[in-house]
Amino acid sequence: MKKVLLAMALLVVMTLAFTACTGNEDTPADTAANNQNQADTSTDISGEITIVNNKIEIDAALRDFARLYEDRFGVRVNVHSFGGETPYAPALAAMFSGGDEPEIFVMEGMTDFISARDSGRVFDLTGQPWVNDTSMEFVYDGRVYGFPVALEGWGLGYNVDILNRAGIDTSTLTNVNAIREAFETIDAMRDELGLTAVVSMAAGPGMTWVTGLHAFNAYLSLGLDYNDTTIIDMLLAGQVDEQRLMYFAEYYNMIFQFSNPSTLIVGGYDQQLGDFGTGQTAFIHQGNWIDPTFAEWGVDFEMGYVPHAFLPQDTPGIFVGAPSWYVVNARANNIDAALHFLNFMASSPEGHEYMVVHSGAVPAFYSVTHIPAGQFSQAVNEWSGRGQVYAWHQNDMPAGFGMNTLGPIFELMAAGSIDPAEFVRLVTEAVATIAP
Amino acid sequence: MKNFFKRNNIIAELFAIGLFLLYMLPFLMVIINASKPVLDIIMDPLSLPESPTQFITNVQAVMDSPVVRYASSFLSSTIITVISVTLLVIISSMAAWVLVRTKSGLSTAIFMLFVAAMVIPFQVVMFPLISWFHRIESVTGLLNTPFRLLQNYPGIIFAYMGFGSSLSIFLYHGFIKSVPLELEEAANIDGCTKAGTFFRIVFPILKPITVTVIILNGIWIWNDYLLPFIVLGAGNDVQTLPLAVANFVGSFVRRWDLILTSTLMAMLPIVIVFLFLQKHIIKGMVEGSVKG
Amino acid sequence: MKHKSGKHSPIFYAFLFPALFSFAFVIVIPFFLGIYYSFTDWTAMTGTNVNWVGFANYTAVFNDVTFLHSFLVTVAFAVINIVVVNVVAFGFALLVTSKLKLKNMYRAAFFMPNLIGGIILGYIWQFIFNNAITAFGASIGSEFLATSLLANRFWALLAIVVVVTWQNAGYIMMIYVAAIQSAPAALLEAAHIDGANYWQRLRHILVPLVAPAFTVSLFLTLVRSFQQFDVNMALTAGGPSGMFMDRALPTTEFLALNIFNTAFAFRELAQGQAKSVIFFITLTVIALVQVYFNKRKEIEM
Repeated sequence: MKKVLLAMALLVVMTLAFTACTGNEDTPADTAANNQNQADTSTDISGEITIVNNKIEIDAALRDFARLYEDRFGVRVNVHSFGGETPYAPALAAMFSGGDEPEIFVMEGMTDFISARDSGRVFDLTGQPWVNDTSMEFVYDGRVYGFPVALEGWGLGYNVDILNRAGIDTSTLTNVNAIREAFETIDAMRDELGLTAVVSMAAGPGMTWVTGLHAFNAYLSLGLDYNDTTIIDMLLAGQVDEQRLMYFAEYYNMIFQFSNPSTLIVGGYDQQLGDFGTGQTAFIHQGNWIDPTFAEWGVDFEMGYVPHAFLPQDTPGIFVGAPSWYVVNARANNIDAALHFLNFMASSPEGHEYMVVHSGAVPAFYSVTHIPAGQFSQAVNEWSGRGQVYAWHQNDMPAGFGMNTLGPIFELMAAGSIDPAEFVRLVTEAVATIAP
Repeated sequence: MKNFFKRNNIIAELFAIGLFLLYMLPFLMVIINASKPVLDIIMDPLSLPESPTQFITNVQAVMDSPVVRYASSFLSSTIITVISVTLLVIISSMAAWVLVRTKSGLSTAIFMLFVAAMVIPFQVVMFPLISWFHRIESVTGLLNTPFRLLQNYPGIIFAYMGFGSSLSIFLYHGFIKSVPLELEEAANIDGCTKAGTFFRIVFPILKPITVTVIILNGIWIWNDYLLPFIVLGAGNDVQTLPLAVANFVGSFVRRWDLILTSTLMAMLPIVIVFLFLQKHIIKGMVEGSVKG
Repeated sequence: MKHKSGKHSPIFYAFLFPALFSFAFVIVIPFFLGIYYSFTDWTAMTGTNVNWVGFANYTAVFNDVTFLHSFLVTVAFAVINIVVVNVVAFGFALLVTSKLKLKNMYRAAFFMPNLIGGIILGYIWQFIFNNAITAFGASIGSEFLATSLLANRFWALLAIVVVVTWQNAGYIMMIYVAAIQSAPAALLEAAHIDGANYWQRLRHILVPLVAPAFTVSLFLTLVRSFQQFDVNMALTAGGPSGMFMDRALPTTEFLALNIFNTAFAFRELAQGQAKSVIFFITLTVIALVQVYFNKRKEIEM
């Protein structure tokens, strides 16, 4: 028995010996200080770079673009895609802990940024040529740290034909009373229009990215200036605007009541898209990323967006922002080539074509003239062209808060277990736990 | 025992057939829906396939996917499963044999350690495991060699040797206890070395339990997702079939046509192996678990 | 071959070395590392400092209502699952050791689901519960079946039991088959001649004879039930939501999934480590108690 104990003790000592030095041996002193080479982006690039992509859907397009870049500049670009059931954050963390330092990786918001910054991986991109060509770069403390991968947006998607037949003028749907009236009109004509429900919405367990993040963002930004952070700042301090939250809760309660219950509770994303795509609903609560799926399914009726206007006053705008940013890894070997690659993507005709035509994105750069093929993407482009946009603040909430804490509250209201007043109470209590 | 159901033979047989069909129903659902286009699946999962060629179209789509790389993933899965299981059989039977045949406090304690480890939740060791592997790589200089641990065969096979040893030793230990000592003593007298005794006399006797160990570990390793995800990482050169399947589904869209087809293609090899070797496998499983 | 205590031949060490070495490197060392990390602010990101924070993570865990809930629901699941899997498996074992004509086919069929991984299986069954059964329910006009069982916290828990049983019963069945086949037939024959009916023979003769198989099966199903992750994640993902201690939370989120979400959704890796340490200690205690009582039961029988 003694020997076993001895052996165990030995293992513990070995373990501690290794962990005792887990500190930061080689964190770059200050990433801002590394930033002197933005001027000469086209000279002296060689070797290879690795780019980590979190959208498996654009894997093929990105690989083609990488090949084109390699042929042109002789720098090999390895594309590393995660997707589907692969959780992105742990996959990336696993890569880093395994000693891989890709030159470019994706961050999805403040939490990612903080963890990348704390481990010395964010390279200061302030002053890069493309920064003046966009308004969607990731900025922290006045410095630029992220290259916007694309623009995405959502509102209340609608089927043009169905709304025409119901005699509804979509340009009037900019406040909650108008939307309620439209819902009621359509609901009364359901059989005539061949609908199973008015709205296609899914709020079940797998859908908290829609409810806890996208839906909740309406509370955070609707009707506010693009840079107005009042509501999100209050939230981060543990406070809510009760009146506003009540309007919000009532609006979503209405959406839920006009949805198909089975799709709403257990249907999931496919069912939600399927209902709208086969003309069984007049509206859908989704963003422009559903375009490729509809294209694959051969859905070709006309569609567009109206605002998620939950307030009594007019709020003519949809939510548009960058869902993710490319970060140049300050701990990687080939930073120069990485900067050049991003610059080439943002400024060359080939890069523009890749972003819009091949990967189907709404471009985040002013100079891009291509128009995305998908109808919802075009709608996002138009709203954003008119400047009628509200911000994305949902990714500035603490990690997990939207999907895992708020999501279940939405689900309870969708299932009819709680009313809007109870919703407000539970959200208020949950927000209170955020206070530092 | 033998007379149960005698009187009610027909009822029992019908009951059993009903149970059998119910048990096979999920497989049937997969096969039917893997032969349909995606919108048909979502809109009516119970409908029968309309076009006989849709299945081939779906298989083609999975085969063509640069993310799935079916052939190479299949090969990687096979390499990892075969080598890991082979090594597990060798090291566990050796260890179990000396643990049974040596009666001492140390031997009992080591055995208990292996058994106790079965209750360690994988989550406890998941992330520490990679930082630890990476540390070994860097310290030993394996990092830039073909023998590096992470994202590569050696690491994952090594990991399976560790994670699989508990149950395997437990099974061998139970079985060896029932093997009479006389054979080994006779071999000793005949001048066999101890190692020779083990490999020539004992190991062949262990065949039934070896079959069990191979089956259980084989099934587990072939299907495992979390450990390859951690050690190999997603989207690298070496990827197993479950990793490939999980990584190619669109971020949020469940492409049921492709999911079900790739699922079918991932489980087909192991089902075929099972159906071919069914008799041996079941016999081995039963004989092997007598004392397990 | 037999050695006295304290005397170990070189072959003892030589044969033990490969297994012990990989075991130590893959499990023991990371395990202690994991315990160490549970007392720090570790984030798994290389390059960040790891600072000692004492029991802070454990305090946070004990104040976490979702963890408490996961704990309770996991225990509930484990109890139901252990009973159901073993009853079904034992029933299957009786069936395939009987004189049925197609018993070999049944045996193979019952074992087959065990060949498929939990994630894949979870998706297939999610599809069956959400799409197939509801479509069937709607077509026969049953309102109960037309609403997915996964939408109700009670039925969703049982749905996981069904799927896990479907997956595991065939394997546990094998253990019982082995025990039944090795039971002396003469004893059962004698009882039959003495006029004992089937249930009497089952209860008083067969069950005591296969008691060791129960010990092993219960241990295996206990550990597997507590560690259940794949099916949980793929089938219900923790849903549906419900209220617990005035908090809205996922009602079928078992411990392993709760830990996974703590680490990955909330990015609290060190807290996740603390949870898994608590999880480990609990499971060890439960397993020890279970084996202890079963061993006693075995002797009594």
